[in-house]
Amino acid sequence: MTATAGQSIWDPEVDFGTPAVRAADTVSVTIDGHQVDVPAGTSVLRAATEAGVTIPKLCATDSLKAFGSCRMCLVEVDGAKGVPASCTTPCADGMVVSTQTDTVRDLRRNVMELYLSDHPEDCDGCARGNCEIQALAVQVDAAEVRYGRPETRADVAHPQPIDLSNPYFAFDDSACIVCSRCVRACADIQGTFALTVEGRGFDSKISAGGTDFMSSECVSCGACVQACPTSALQEKSVVALGMPTRSVETTCAYCGVGCSFRADVQGEGDDSRVVRMVPSKNGGANEGHSCVKGRFAYGYAAHKDRQLSPMVRDTIDDEWREVSWDEAIATVADGFKALQAEHGVGSIGGISSSRCTNEEVYVVQKLVRAAFGNNNIDTCARVCHSPTGYGLKQTFGTSAGTQDFKSVEKTDVVLLIGANPTDAHPVFASRMKRRLREGARLIVADPRRIDLVRSPHVEAAFHLPVLPGSNVAFVNAMAHVIVTEGLHDEEFVRARCEDAEEYLAFIADPVHSPEATVDITGIPPEDLRAAARLFGEAGNAAIYYGLGVTEHSQGSTMVMGMANLAMVTGNIGRDGVGVNPLRGQNNVQGSCDMGSFPHEFPGYRHVSQDDVRAIYEDLWGKTLDPQPGLRIPNMFDSALAGTFRGVYIQGEDIAQSDPNTQHVEAALRAMDLVVVQDLFLNETARFAHVFLPGTSFLEKDGTFTNAERRINRVRPVFASKVGRDEWDITCAIGRAMGYDMSYAHPSEIMDEIAATTPTFAGVSFARLDEVGSMQWPVYDDSSTGTPIMHIGEFVRGKGRLIETVFVPTTERSTRRFPLILTTGRILSQYNVGAQTRRTANNTWHPEDVLEIHPADAEVRGIATGDLVDLSSRVGSTTLRAMVSERMPPGVVYTTFHHPVTGANVVTTENSDWATNCPEYKVTAVQVGVANQRGDAAVAQAREPVETHA
Amino acid sequence: MSGAGIAPEARLGNDIARQFAHLAPNRAAEAIAVHLETFWDPSMRRRLEALVAAGDDSLDPLLVDAAGRLATHASRAEPDAQP
Ligand code: SF4
Ligand code: SF4
Ligand code: FES
Repeated sequence: MTATAGQSIWDPEVDFGTPAVRAADTVSVTIDGHQVDVPAGTSVLRAATEAGVTIPKLCATDSLKAFGSCRMCLVEVDGAKGVPASCTTPCADGMVVSTQTDTVRDLRRNVMELYLSDHPEDCDGCARGNCEIQALAVQVDAAEVRYGRPETRADVAHPQPIDLSNPYFAFDDSACIVCSRCVRACADIQGTFALTVEGRGFDSKISAGGTDFMSSECVSCGACVQACPTSALQEKSVVALGMPTRSVETTCAYCGVGCSFRADVQGEGDDSRVVRMVPSKNGGANEGHSCVKGRFAYGYAAHKDRQLSPMVRDTIDDEWREVSWDEAIATVADGFKALQAEHGVGSIGGISSSRCTNEEVYVVQKLVRAAFGNNNIDTCARVCHSPTGYGLKQTFGTSAGTQDFKSVEKTDVVLLIGANPTDAHPVFASRMKRRLREGARLIVADPRRIDLVRSPHVEAAFHLPVLPGSNVAFVNAMAHVIVTEGLHDEEFVRARCEDAEEYLAFIADPVHSPEATVDITGIPPEDLRAAARLFGEAGNAAIYYGLGVTEHSQGSTMVMGMANLAMVTGNIGRDGVGVNPLRGQNNVQGSCDMGSFPHEFPGYRHVSQDDVRAIYEDLWGKTLDPQPGLRIPNMFDSALAGTFRGVYIQGEDIAQSDPNTQHVEAALRAMDLVVVQDLFLNETARFAHVFLPGTSFLEKDGTFTNAERRINRVRPVFASKVGRDEWDITCAIGRAMGYDMSYAHPSEIMDEIAATTPTFAGVSFARLDEVGSMQWPVYDDSSTGTPIMHIGEFVRGKGRLIETVFVPTTERSTRRFPLILTTGRILSQYNVGAQTRRTANNTWHPEDVLEIHPADAEVRGIATGDLVDLSSRVGSTTLRAMVSERMPPGVVYTTFHHPVTGANVVTTENSDWATNCPEYKVTAVQVGVANQRGDAAVAQAREPVETHA
Repeated sequence: MSGAGIAPEARLGNDIARQFAHLAPNRAAEAIAVHLETFWDPSMRRRLEALVAAGDDSLDPLLVDAAGRLATHASRAEPDAQP
């Protein structure tokens, strides 16, 4: 297949009616004369579809368990009485099925006539061709309705106004046939339970909890819209634009779940436009589900704020001047060369982006190492998951999570630490919730009472409100209980781990007990002991974690502590277990894999390794630096010291996303040449001398790697709106600096990655197009990847148990700053919000708010909705307060999605000791009722951002 | 609070030193030196050495010891001692 695989005419995915069954045994059935072999337990409806026989259906769809309510799918089975519903009838070996007898035809026609008797003739969906009713009516020969049919939507039995409250989809009750697919999708797939069927019989109707969709519990995931067989639930974009004419299979560019989507498109070439994004059933990460960001918030790609031409200016106080690509690239190359001539080879560097493709990131690190001639390359993963890389490499031997997402389906006990998946990794959260509803137990360790602590049909066995900054003491206490109570897996530790004796002696020391550490962790010892027993006694226990682990002064130590906990309990190397980082951005894993760290080549190999350097020196024809380069915070410090003078920043808004904004801005101001490549003139661009317009994911051709190491294809829906591809711009800078780096196509970049990186050896665009996706390591062309790692043996041989000593952070609450601020995300917004703020997702989260415990609020005279000043030792900002019992006393919380709030104005330069990942989760602050200046700032923040739906 | 007013290399180096303080001094200094060799840009190591030479009193004694060992180390592929 070629790189254009995944593009096709519009052709909806086949709906097999009921979910696929995973079973070793097969049975053979004959349907209308066609013989078909299917896994035991497969429904007759699905088997028929697989055999190419279409059975009419309404209430069944292959994303949901069969319900058997509509009676459209009736069949006759030889030797059996009656007319069973094929969706609820499992195939039996030797079964002979007839789907087109006179009896079933008559019955189906009757059923259909009943449905049509309240389905308006002017149904928009029927006219548009996306209401299954019209097609089914023809199929079952029910074009004429004996009971009559309402002419317009006003003539149905109980006309209701169309619910337009959700910005992205509409609910038209008149087109609804109450098949309950939406209700079941919301419950079974999304796990939100926002919808119910109200009333009985002919009077029954779908209700969003008795209110409109926007006021309900709905999180706008779109699962109900996708499940709806009529146009009752319909994307507003389809209503406005009509049906697509082609689709392109691609990957969401928001979070690290990495959902696969079909972009449904109209038009060709420059006239192409996206009609909607529909999650792919074949997506390995999402299996047909999505969240509000990936499903609906793609409008930013066509937003008028996008800067489409390159621009330059001499100083940051000058006006921007639009220039040709040639002039912009020459300005960059000449500027960088001049800086190196004057200040040395190490005076410039680059920052790659976790939003960009593997191929785009790879060429940036190549540009830095081969054309700049140094290792001053870092990535925005520095500020999120660099401790994951460090900690898992030290303990297991490779810098990645151990499982695929599917693994959670086999988990008995989930330990969730410092992560809020229902907001930050929603599609994985839905999978996890499904497992929890099946009976798996949940332990939540988080200062904040996140939604998963208690949500419909899910209740955590324990919520351990671990105080910010005390994670290592907490994880040590868990391991202490398990080891001292003999709940550890001695056999696993003996056979598969090293340094076991020292570790077991270390962790058994009473200083690590829950009782001895209660003042540090804030967790009642009896709760911690009970949670540790639950974890230690579980058949399969799995750890899932997020930035609440990594963004601490001991982030790396904590990652090692969790690895210890998994190893001592033997929870590594099979389904249902493991240590699983929930990565923030779509390509955090990939950008790290691609050699974006200053000490490592692609595949996590240190720059000092002669054999590895030789691979690149041979291929690139350059002598490479064997010493590590500068990390992002080191670049800032060196800029202020005058030794670092120029930087190429690919798709990262460091002035907004990095801690201690004043320090970052001063460093940017101190540089002679700041080059920003981005979609929008972001905050960092205020300090830039050259702006190179970037491309959105809808224009990219390449790959992203998600949190489960899954390499997914990203395919262009339309050509680059800026006239060039991002990888090509990077290469052009290299060439203009005198280093020839050229590729005819991004697939050639992946070929180079595969040729030089053993864990990617079997990866190519052609193979990805063929098999869909692969999880690295893919050691050769015979492998389709490695869903679960460390089976039988760790990548480093034996797993390493490391003594994780708790060292308190130096950031402590004081009399002046008595509260601790911690930060997080919300579902509808994404990171600094550059994309989501330019969509209707703003409807849900127009501003950042500060959550504060009632006791802390009361002593300060603060009520919900008040403007408050939030100040730390480095700065202050103003935002609105929300009094909330989700927070423990003494801890306040905010998100960082809106630039005017500037949460990072208050965060400090403190960082993880090993990786310099900022300590975003612990800042000593004071909160007080706001002054006038704050009022102005918030008024500005509340300016509506113009959005595209 | 770590940091305000002290040199970046002192602040970052002290953060590392504190993680190894539970080890015997000789092992701790060795481990710190290995960490610096593995992850720090040479220019930062040189600046740290200059701080030591200048008698900067904000430096953790373990860091000072580690800095003295830097010259004897080749650059490292992997740290072989951990806290
Ligand atoms: S959009 Fe999602 S959350 Fe909202 S009602 Fe539909 S299925 Fe439920
Ligand atoms: S869960 Fe993440 S990857 Fe999936 S649609 Fe939402 S933002 Fe995109
Ligand atoms: S599709 Fe089988 S009963 Fe509705």
